[in-house]
Amino acid sequence: MIVGITIITVSILVNQVTKETFSKNNPGLDAVVGAKGSPLQLILSSIHHIDIPTGNISYKNARKIIKHPAIKSAIPISLGDNFQNFRIVGTNKSFLKLYKANLISGTAWSQPMQAVIGYNVSKITKLKINKFFVGSHGLIDTGDVHAEQPYKVVGVLKKTGTILDNLILTSLDSVWNLHSVTNKDKLEITSLLLKYKNKTSSFSFPRLINKGTNMQAASPSFEISKLLKLTGNAHRIVDYLSVLIMILSFLGILFTLLNNINERKYDLAVLRTLGFSRWKLFSIILSEGMIISILGSTIGLIFGYIVYESMYYFSIVGRSLELGQLSFLNDLFLIWIIVNIIAFITCLVPCIKVYKQNIRSTLLNS
Amino acid sequence: MLICEDISFDIDGQKLFSNINLNIKPQKDLLITGPSGVGKTTLLSILCGIQKPTTGKITYNSIDLYNLPENKIDEFRGKNLGVVFQNFNLINTFTVKQNLEIAVSAIDTKKSIPFFNILDRVGLANKSHIKVANLSIGEKQRLAVARAFVGDPKWVFCDEPTSSLDDKNANIIANLIKEESLRCKASLVLITHDSRIQTLIKFSKILKLGDE
Repeated sequence: MIVGITIITVSILVNQVTKETFSKNNPGLDAVVGAKGSPLQLILSSIHHIDIPTGNISYKNARKIIKHPAIKSAIPISLGDNFQNFRIVGTNKSFLKLYKANLISGTAWSQPMQAVIGYNVSKITKLKINKFFVGSHGLIDTGDVHAEQPYKVVGVLKKTGTILDNLILTSLDSVWNLHSVTNKDKLEITSLLLKYKNKTSSFSFPRLINKGTNMQAASPSFEISKLLKLTGNAHRIVDYLSVLIMILSFLGILFTLLNNINERKYDLAVLRTLGFSRWKLFSIILSEGMIISILGSTIGLIFGYIVYESMYYFSIVGRSLELGQLSFLNDLFLIWIIVNIIAFITCLVPCIKVYKQNIRSTLLNS
Repeated sequence: MLICEDISFDIDGQKLFSNINLNIKPQKDLLITGPSGVGKTTLLSILCGIQKPTTGKITYNSIDLYNLPENKIDEFRGKNLGVVFQNFNLINTFTVKQNLEIAVSAIDTKKSIPFFNILDRVGLANKSHIKVANLSIGEKQRLAVARAFVGDPKWVFCDEPTSSLDDKNANIIANLIKEESLRCKASLVLITHDSRIQTLIKFSKILKLGDE
């Protein structure tokens, strides 16, 4: 039972938190334009900062898109470096407005090599205002650092419960300076985060980019719903497996109690002769079964939560997940109730057997 | 007062006994004797509310025993009757003291039970933590007697309490039953085919089963 509930708990938590995280990380973006490749990869790398980018696009071409009449807002981002596995994102200040980010302390960057750090970055790396740090090349800490050009922390963001908490933001110039790109025609960015003026553009605009340029436009909602559909199937398989384990544990409880009763039928008959009523024995056996069930299901929930928390602490992907307003608690509580109701019904079988026991014949046969 | 009216019991349509009428006044004793197979143990089970008679009525102080719901019969037995079974019916996996404790928990009494005193009276004070499975036959019989009297019952039923014991142990058990009955001011109903018992306990009434 503990194993079954643990698996169900982890499955629910991961499922809910993944959905919630994907939804919270997207502040109403309609499209992401980036280098050709997997559209899902583009979305995951540019909005959720999980995957690696598909490549770079020319900033010159990106500026043309920014000026397109269908576009309401366009925010360029440039990825490539990290600090202790937290991604350094080159962007402009509109990025802060996009996530409605507020500063706990300091200000936004005003010149190259100044950085604003997310809440979790500050908490985990202990970086503070006016502290310096050096970025490491790549999106995972490899030790290959840009030691000659450190960043200075000028601002720390309030907790948002989004991916912003795990990002280090700086100007695009910082990223270009660090990678020694001086020719304005050769400036590159990773992607553009777009909002349309009119939602009808979601059909025409991507086609325009995908067919007319060497870039691609991907829709976050479409790609994420595709991903969730795929992972949803995996979750369903895990759920079926845990239901199977649960059924086996119910049968385990049933046969353990039946076996116990069979072994103790003489003792139970003796208890009746001493004055224990049928109902009293019925309730004792029921209590035994329910104690196993309640303890097992509660320990399972706790184990499930511990497994989930371990995932959060020990995986880089986990760091991108944000636990929301404990909305999963209702689902877990519902499962806990259902499991214990089924256990209750299962326990009734041995209880009825005890209730119907004929004490005289049991004592005579023993 | 215990009154039995026209008690009869059939097994597979054949009469084991019929028309048994008894009247036992408070603190009076009844000995039921008779050869093996006449239904002495069955009669005891009927008197204790364990086996419903085919016909007849049993009343304890005007409470019609078999008119009570089954749960109430069990509770009545626990609170008012003490039974020493022929094969003791002790819980072998429990210790001596636990066998007394479980009997008390069935009564739901609030008064504290002096387990040590009870075990001391039956000579098992130094064996309170020993499992029943490790006791001798005589010790088991003494424990069964102690358990029957632990709740200060008003009626005590003993089924062949001395049959499997030697003279010395039979004497001890008979004295114990007599003393405990007096202490509890209980009416005693004793069933046996052991002829030694009449020399050990004086009964106010004797019922011979099997005498037509």
